[in-house]
Amino acid sequence: MNIILSLLKPRVFSTINNLRTDNKRNHWMRIFMFSMVGIVFWAGTFIILYRVLYYFQSVQDFGDILAMKLLSMIIMTFFVLLLFSSIINCLSHLYLSQDLQLLHSLPVSAKDIFLSRWLISTFDSSWMVVAFSLPAFLSYGLIYKAGIIFYTIVLVAIIFICLIASALAAILVLFGATILPAGRIRTILIILGFILVLLFVFVLRLTRPEQLVNPDSFASVVLYLNSLQTPNSSFLPTTWITAAVKAALRGEINSSLFDIALTGSCAFMLIFIGDVIARATYFMGFSKSQTTSPRLFKPLKYKDLSWESLLNFLPRESRAFAVKEIRIFFRDSTQWPQLFLMAALIAIYLYNFSVLPLDKSPIKTIYLQNLFSFLNMGLSAFVLSALAARFVFPAVSMEGNAFWIVQAAPVSIKRFLWIKFFLYYLPLLIITEILIIVSNLLLQVSLFMMILSAVTMFFLVPAIVALAIGLGAVYPDFKSENPAQVVTSFGGLMLMIICFFLIALVITLEAGPVYYAFMADVQGKQLSLLPVTWLIVSFGLAIFLCFLSVFYPMRLGEKNLRIR
Amino acid sequence: MINLNELTKHYGATIAVNKLCLHAAAGEIYGFIGPNGAGKTTTIRLMGGILAPTSGNIIIGGMDIAQNPIAVKKLIGFVPDRPFLYEKLTGMEFLRFSADLYEVNTAEFSPKAEQLLHQFALRDWADEIIEAYSHGMKQRLIIASALLHDPKILIIDEPMVGLDPAAVRMVKDIFKELAQKQTTIFISTHTLSIAEDLCHRIGVIHKGTLLAEGSVDELKHIAKLGEARLEEVFLTIIKENAFL
Repeated sequence: MNIILSLLKPRVFSTINNLRTDNKRNHWMRIFMFSMVGIVFWAGTFIILYRVLYYFQSVQDFGDILAMKLLSMIIMTFFVLLLFSSIINCLSHLYLSQDLQLLHSLPVSAKDIFLSRWLISTFDSSWMVVAFSLPAFLSYGLIYKAGIIFYTIVLVAIIFICLIASALAAILVLFGATILPAGRIRTILIILGFILVLLFVFVLRLTRPEQLVNPDSFASVVLYLNSLQTPNSSFLPTTWITAAVKAALRGEINSSLFDIALTGSCAFMLIFIGDVIARATYFMGFSKSQTTSPRLFKPLKYKDLSWESLLNFLPRESRAFAVKEIRIFFRDSTQWPQLFLMAALIAIYLYNFSVLPLDKSPIKTIYLQNLFSFLNMGLSAFVLSALAARFVFPAVSMEGNAFWIVQAAPVSIKRFLWIKFFLYYLPLLIITEILIIVSNLLLQVSLFMMILSAVTMFFLVPAIVALAIGLGAVYPDFKSENPAQVVTSFGGLMLMIICFFLIALVITLEAGPVYYAFMADVQGKQLSLLPVTWLIVSFGLAIFLCFLSVFYPMRLGEKNLRIR
Repeated sequence: MINLNELTKHYGATIAVNKLCLHAAAGEIYGFIGPNGAGKTTTIRLMGGILAPTSGNIIIGGMDIAQNPIAVKKLIGFVPDRPFLYEKLTGMEFLRFSADLYEVNTAEFSPKAEQLLHQFALRDWADEIIEAYSHGMKQRLIIASALLHDPKILIIDEPMVGLDPAAVRMVKDIFKELAQKQTTIFISTHTLSIAEDLCHRIGVIHKGTLLAEGSVDELKHIAKLGEARLEEVFLTIIKENAFL
């Protein structure tokens, strides 16, 4: 036990050192921003759930059934999230972390290393899900006027659900690392990405969100929600946890304690099984993971076709960086699941527009279509921001420890950043324009709105890409084990917030005069000089904002990288 | 070829390099030795254009690196102390990448790359992804890529770390050959025997300050140690802490 505690100490001390006031990363702005986002999200979850449950209480006969159905859905969702989060954390903590080589060279058993790393992984994968599950349970407690026993049982249930998810993940990962060929451990991530996409699509389609805007089905929303099914086998831990929480809400303490005991025994049994398997296989799997994996796909060779020949039109340094970037991107298998996820996000986005029953809406269709067109602009820009945050923002950090090559090379930092900009700008421009044009076609918007949307995106794409590159250079992390994760850093958060304000500002600037012109057209009026001036000034300001967002962050990023 | 004038670098309150002045002529192999944390790597990184100095200037090939960074970097072959590379590229792809950045003649690239890969015993690994390379192989690849554009100046931090004895011998021979062809080589090292064997002149740095400078014989004279090995000379200079 002492050894496990000793093995946990580096992590504990690192956390404490990170919280020290002299740590440069503890900038008040960073702490303030993260706290605010957390509080807003936490409070938002609580308010929405509280209102939903309050509404359910007012629905005769069905209210309680719906609340309980929602509870089982929440618990199932938390469990799935915990399981995926645990698998990814277990893989990283047990096999991929850089400090594992040092740990395995120490005079401690592989079993102790496994247990210490599993505990860290359990904490890392659980804390956020636990933090955001609390407002859900709190709203149930308040609506059902539950006593202290309910909260105690919920707390124990949360701990057990985390332990079960983490132990199950460890068992899966231990088996995976033993079965898969050496060094192919990251392949699991790709498979997981696929599963996650399928699950995401499945859940989304199961909820049939388009039904909610169909006036014909408004009357049956309650029945619709009631018809949603969640797996309810008596062998599933989520069923026991749901039953325990439900019983605690109703004050049936004995029944609740029985289900909690069942969950607890399952958790401890899984931990025991995990420990037994780890003793037999963990070191073997770790040893295998240390071998460099052979390439998953052999490079396709067709005559003299190569990235160099395809990009031959570019200046030499730009081509060198472009080819390097493309090769590294496609050879890094951790990028692939993210690509699949993004593809799924875009597909679902477009699919949802295709099933909108606009003709059944009680609001005038032309007006609605144009309103949706503006909403679509905003949403498409947010999809673009998500893509930029995930793929463009980490682009500078992806240079990692090899950044010295760029610094020592006869290429200026300014040029290096602009090469990165154009590398991401072109594909993102194509994706965004396709997204906005296809969704507008599905919405059957007017030609004016189609052109306005396409032009707006044409200006917003470079602005968002430059913001991502620039802020990525202002907040780089060249030492991260997984640079893709810098998106969750302070810089990533800043990027999302700035993108949000930029998109909101640009659309607001456009929407006002366009709405006025649209209404004048509907009423058959001629536009006077004032609205025309308003239109020109607004659009001019929007374009200026986009230009400012291109050049200012790029300059900031260049300055920051130059003075390092 | 290399002139450092009053070169100073501060990291917050810490002075890593303090008013350093030194000169290395064309064809000279200059060794830079000193204890851990003396400021060797900082000096090397300043010369490579990776760090900006707090004050002072670096003149390489007659140009100030602060004024003409691109032109100066084209003259330099830089080898850092740790072989961090783009792990997902193959060895050959990395050489091509370097060749593009340093504008190596396209027609000359392939034979030159082949020759270097062969010379550094990496020919069989040329199409393997770098993450599969050992530490020594990565070090050899970096040295090969630094030589690809026939630099006039080589700046190398700990060149022999991770190399096997055969590779050490080969690298030493290459350096001697390059020096004969008027290439200036600036080496930072802890391995005093290498400095002794290879360098025409040696500078001893401690706490960011140059304590002594000269050939091995001149340093022995400075330290008043007669026939002693460089190791004893080094330890005496560091202990006394004031020779210049």
